[in-house]
Amino acid sequence: MTNRIDRRVLLRALIVLVVAAAAVTLLGALGSPAAASSTDAVAHATVAAGDATAGIAQADTAVHADAVTTEGDSGTNRYVQQLVNGIVFGLLLALASVGLSLIYGTTGLSNFAHGEQVSLGALLTFFFTTQQPVSVPFIPVEFTIGWPLIPSALAAIALAAGSGWLQDRFLWSPLRRRRVSIVQQMIVSIGLSLALLNFIQWWFGAERQRLTTSIDTRIDFGLFQVGQTTLWSVLISLLCLGGVAFFLLKTRTGRATRAVSDNPSLASASGIRVEKVVRLVWIMATGLAAVGGILLALYDNAAAFDVGARLLLLMFAAVTLGGLGQAFGALVGSLVIGIAVEMSTLWLGTDLKYAVALGILILVLLVRPQGILGRAERVG
Amino acid sequence: MNDAPVIVHADDLYAGYLPGVDILNGCSMEVKEGELIGIIGPNGAGKSTFLKSLFGLVPIRSGTVMLGDEDITNVRADELVKRGIGFVPQTNNVFPSLTVLENLEMGAYQRPKSFRSQFERIGELFPKLVERKDQRAGSLSGGERQMVAMARALMMDPKVLLLDEPSAGLSPDRQDETFVRTREINRTGVTVIMVEQNARRCLQICDRGYVLDQGTTAYTASGQELLKDPKVIELYLGTLGA
Repeated sequence: MTNRIDRRVLLRALIVLVVAAAAVTLLGALGSPAAASSTDAVAHATVAAGDATAGIAQADTAVHADAVTTEGDSGTNRYVQQLVNGIVFGLLLALASVGLSLIYGTTGLSNFAHGEQVSLGALLTFFFTTQQPVSVPFIPVEFTIGWPLIPSALAAIALAAGSGWLQDRFLWSPLRRRRVSIVQQMIVSIGLSLALLNFIQWWFGAERQRLTTSIDTRIDFGLFQVGQTTLWSVLISLLCLGGVAFFLLKTRTGRATRAVSDNPSLASASGIRVEKVVRLVWIMATGLAAVGGILLALYDNAAAFDVGARLLLLMFAAVTLGGLGQAFGALVGSLVIGIAVEMSTLWLGTDLKYAVALGILILVLLVRPQGILGRAERVG
Repeated sequence: MNDAPVIVHADDLYAGYLPGVDILNGCSMEVKEGELIGIIGPNGAGKSTFLKSLFGLVPIRSGTVMLGDEDITNVRADELVKRGIGFVPQTNNVFPSLTVLENLEMGAYQRPKSFRSQFERIGELFPKLVERKDQRAGSLSGGERQMVAMARALMMDPKVLLLDEPSAGLSPDRQDETFVRTREINRTGVTVIMVEQNARRCLQICDRGYVLDQGTTAYTASGQELLKDPKVIELYLGTLGA
């Protein structure tokens, strides 16, 4: 019975989606503002690409503008190209959001400050790699580090993971011990998010910072093109995500992490030191967020203090879509969101692409409230 | 049996979930090695809270719990597992997204090396679980979950097993099976302390029973004596089997 209702809702949702897409395409063909804004955005972004203060949405479009403009002189197909872009973006988003899912799973906390962990990864890398003089907050000494990208990234990841340890040790763990409710903890995370956002802006400024000055060479695969750095990023994110999967499925501590996600008090009653597992999850989650942030900054050419804050909603959408607390759900959800976001720019204005992602989230939840990979539990 | 040394001794416990709200108001209990103890009482008497406080899951505000001659008052649950206490909660007593095998592995988390041999031993007690070892625990029926939960708690070879209403929510057949199994586990030398709603069935199998009322231990006697006690019959057993 439920199944039949599900299918009916799904069918209705699909019809709405198809009608909406058709309407937009039609309007686009008639030269309506929707389509105009899309082409505008591309043109605008190309102009703005040189502007260091350009917003992320614009820079995003700049990347896609590349793809669009290269079409014609090579054999790239823009549908395939956007699909590939979507998969790439999805993988990077997965890397950023898998930690959000792990933290939610093990502690029940929706960590609104997770976006700032993403920004922190990108900007700490900038801190180590830039040739400009930098300084540390509260210490009025300027110095230049200027390390190569890879050691800078590794140092940034280590620091970010350390910040996860620090947070759990001095903030989240004491709050849990005092049995502060999950809603109160969530409010704390919103506060922390704002504090970190402003701190990062104060430290690194509001400009978009580039992690590397080298220009990415694009490799032509016939139907689509991918930058060399992007290929490396995909490889790294696949390795990291594979590592997380291996950890969760094949190691004893990983299985204990899943046990804590399922039922923390039973885990404790089984002899698992829940606090230790949660501490490890915080370190992993913040470390992975930093890797995600660095790779996204390379993908987008630059990162600003609010890169994570802008991504936060997409990360929540990905995690919810995949199934809250399911680590693999974050991957599936992110891929769906990534592909939806990038493909939607083919038909809709770029300004609408995040709205599309959230629209899909709502549709999926109407049909499958537990998310794509979430499991409805048998009762009794 | 009465000459056996005392293994668990709870003395005048005051405990509760929220600060300032005590659910236990002076609970005491003495359990000898190898005994099967049943704790019965009306709804809200604090039976489950009593069991949880023994296991470090509810903060004890005053009073002491001794395991042999060690003070285990307010010791963390995972530490108690190491010291030889097993606990089976009433609800949510399996890890639903883990397989049966993984559930049992979590039971032996602190002794990973003994997992294989323990699994074989437990497999003899619960052959059905060996058949279903690769099935996700979340897809099992209530009775099967109860088996997984008990097996998980036995993986560490506990000296004392705490069972929180093991028969709750099960069909009469399954309830019987659970009581028989509890008795079997007890016969292997494990001291069992169980909280039960099904007072009659519980008193039939247990060596001794404690009656809890409004957060205090009202009285204790052997299972058979309590079954015949007119006050217990009136309050908890009804008149059916009297």
